[in-house]
Amino acid sequence: METASFLIRKLAEDRVALLGALLISLLVLTAIFAPFLATHPADIAEFHPVERLQGPATAHFFGTDRMGSDIYSRILFGARITITIAVIAIGVSVLIGVPIGLIAGYYHGWFSDMLMRTSDIFLAVPQIVLAIAIAQTLGPSIENVILALSATYWPFWTRLVYAETRSLQNEVFIEASIALGAPPWRVMLLHILPNIMSSIIVRTTIGMGGTILTAAALGFLGLGAPAPSPEWGRMISESREFLPEAWWYATAPGLAIFMVVMGFNLLGDGLRDILDPRIRRSRAHDSK
Amino acid sequence: MTMTGNGLTTALRRLRRAGVVSLTSLALGITLAAAPVADVEAKNTFVFANSSAYDTMDPHAVFDVGRVAYRINLYDGLMRWEDNPPVLNLWLAESFDITEDGLTYTFKLRKGAKFHDGSEIEAADVVYSIERMLALKKGAAALFIGTVASGSTKALDKYTVEFNLSKPSAIFMATVPEIHVLNADLMKQHVNNDDWGSAWLSTNDAGSGSFKLKRYDPAKGFLAERFADHFMGWGDKYLDEIEFRTVVEINSRVLGLMKGDFHGSDGYMPQDQIIRLRKSDNVNVEEQESMRIFYSIIHNGRSPMNDINFRKALSYAFDYDGFINNILSGSVARNPGPLPNNIWGAPKDLAGYTYDLDKAKEYLAKVKEPIREITIGALAGYGQTEQAAALLQNGLTKIGIKSKIVAEPWPVASGKMRDEQQMYDLLFLWKSTYYADPNNWVGEMYDGASIGARNNSWYKNPEVDTLLHEAQTTTDTALRERNYAKAATMVANDAAGIFIYNTKWFGPIDKRAKGFRFCPIGNGQEMRWVYFE
Repeated sequence: METASFLIRKLAEDRVALLGALLISLLVLTAIFAPFLATHPADIAEFHPVERLQGPATAHFFGTDRMGSDIYSRILFGARITITIAVIAIGVSVLIGVPIGLIAGYYHGWFSDMLMRTSDIFLAVPQIVLAIAIAQTLGPSIENVILALSATYWPFWTRLVYAETRSLQNEVFIEASIALGAPPWRVMLLHILPNIMSSIIVRTTIGMGGTILTAAALGFLGLGAPAPSPEWGRMISESREFLPEAWWYATAPGLAIFMVVMGFNLLGDGLRDILDPRIRRSRAHDSK
Repeated sequence: MTMTGNGLTTALRRLRRAGVVSLTSLALGITLAAAPVADVEAKNTFVFANSSAYDTMDPHAVFDVGRVAYRINLYDGLMRWEDNPPVLNLWLAESFDITEDGLTYTFKLRKGAKFHDGSEIEAADVVYSIERMLALKKGAAALFIGTVASGSTKALDKYTVEFNLSKPSAIFMATVPEIHVLNADLMKQHVNNDDWGSAWLSTNDAGSGSFKLKRYDPAKGFLAERFADHFMGWGDKYLDEIEFRTVVEINSRVLGLMKGDFHGSDGYMPQDQIIRLRKSDNVNVEEQESMRIFYSIIHNGRSPMNDINFRKALSYAFDYDGFINNILSGSVARNPGPLPNNIWGAPKDLAGYTYDLDKAKEYLAKVKEPIREITIGALAGYGQTEQAAALLQNGLTKIGIKSKIVAEPWPVASGKMRDEQQMYDLLFLWKSTYYADPNNWVGEMYDGASIGARNNSWYKNPEVDTLLHEAQTTTDTALRERNYAKAATMVANDAAGIFIYNTKWFGPIDKRAKGFRFCPIGNGQEMRWVYFE
């Protein structure tokens, strides 16, 4: 509770991070209230060929697309897909990556080595390439994009948690609890995990931005949600045929992706400044 | 071993010189790399921006429109389709003769016709080529398997070749241009483990065509130079070189055409891009009536599409007007049946279906089988198929049919089309002209005998089969015309597919290029007639 209020207080002081938080809240609100905010909520699955490729106007804030659907409304609904993909993919990655990192970091031996080498193998292949391979093999759908992203993202947490666990292991309070007879799970969950939580939170926030970008890239390549889903990456991909005349077609989803990714990155940076004492100190030193 | 001071200096000097040489050659390399631009002008090179990649140079390996350029420009057949409407002309053959029973076709070859290596084209080369096709069973081979038995073709003398069909075939003559003649002697030098020289030919040239392969890179495309000794001779004006470059992105193709970097490109671009091209000073957009129908395959063999009422409901749920007039800006013509309107045999009085949701609901109510979610296939990267799928989904939702769209690349989709279980419930695509005969469409697409191979609808109607088989084996043109018209009408009445439009070809061509001759077979990519003014 105390840490939470400390966090909020510190965030309020950091304007850039606040902007990030604001952008993210905007995304979440958009996703929740999409049906109310949208001017043409039916346009997700309904088309009006007569009105296709019209420029931005009062009837259509961001113009219409190749099927005559309202781009503004589609972007709002696209926020839902974006959030679903990012939250589930990151959630799964954390659930896989953190326990593996804890176990590999806590125990020393061949099993720990095996876990880390496995995660190294995943890290060695460029993430987008691996994700494309997975999504292509399983066929284009949102579920498979989530699967592909989860399967490629978890090693980042494993490596982070592994390193932090190893460095914490020599601390006196850990040695003390081991000496008192605490079982390994208790040491890991009650003593190590809470102390590395801040690093995980920072990594997760920044990871969100990356995931959204990768998900958009997969959508752009036609591996995401099939037409006529209002997935942002797919919308940009569709718009290519009509550039540069229908400039609004690519601009609107492009800006949406840009703002959301920037939001997560700014918030992540802000959180790191607050939660990572080493960087905070160096900053304070600089300002003197 | 020790090196004296003197030796060391010499070695260093040599090294330095080597460095200078390599630097100079690097600089030269750069100038050379830049040179082709100047070369293009000096040597009359026609650069064609192709939307799909050339993954092989073997004319017997593939049989599609996207990669037709090397088959038609680097290779020759006994006959050739030319112009629009297409006319079948003598090409490598000087004359031909067909026996009364329609089983024996004898072709006389031109004397003195040469391959690219200078050797003469002989009857034995034709025999080798058809045998190779039948053995490899790839590309256009499907047209001949079942009619031409392996070992049945004979070289009677140096210039006479005789085909002995196992059953009469009305379309054999129309498909003869697809027997691309290879240099048998050259091929036999490159055989590896009974592969008929496939590995070698996939990157090399063993033909006699108007142009000779100069450079090929699967990632970039191919460059070919004029073959001055071609048996058809050359006029006063011609191209020195042709380059077919792979340019996947449509905007790059359009911008390249407008800047004059490309002199031609595919003729089926979205209308929005055609409008852009028309405004350019460098480009002429030539308009030709083509034969390439856009339709949706319906899997007739699977429930609930095996019920004619359900198929009719599907046919009434597609917004034909919205698609043709709004999405495609009226650049194509409505085509209500499985035969292009402009081929002989196309039924004249076929009304076809309209966008009528009330009728769709009416037919849907008659369906006895349970209605389930329908999978609509589209071709990834071909925006039109996705737009059509989305539009159909729109109509289906309104009559209460749930559907999901699956867009997959052509190689994946074409694989699934051959498998009854994997095939989508519906699939939007085009059927192009491979030979100008009604059989190319209704005869290939709805013949019960070729289910799974070319009939990807699993449609079987004994009456249609009787009509088609009679038409395929007679030489009586009037009878054939009647049969194909009847068969096409029955297929349309059975709502075996959703038939949408027949394409017009809008070919962007550089304003300085003249002599262009469009033919639906080859999609206007035959370059021997073209020259720069």
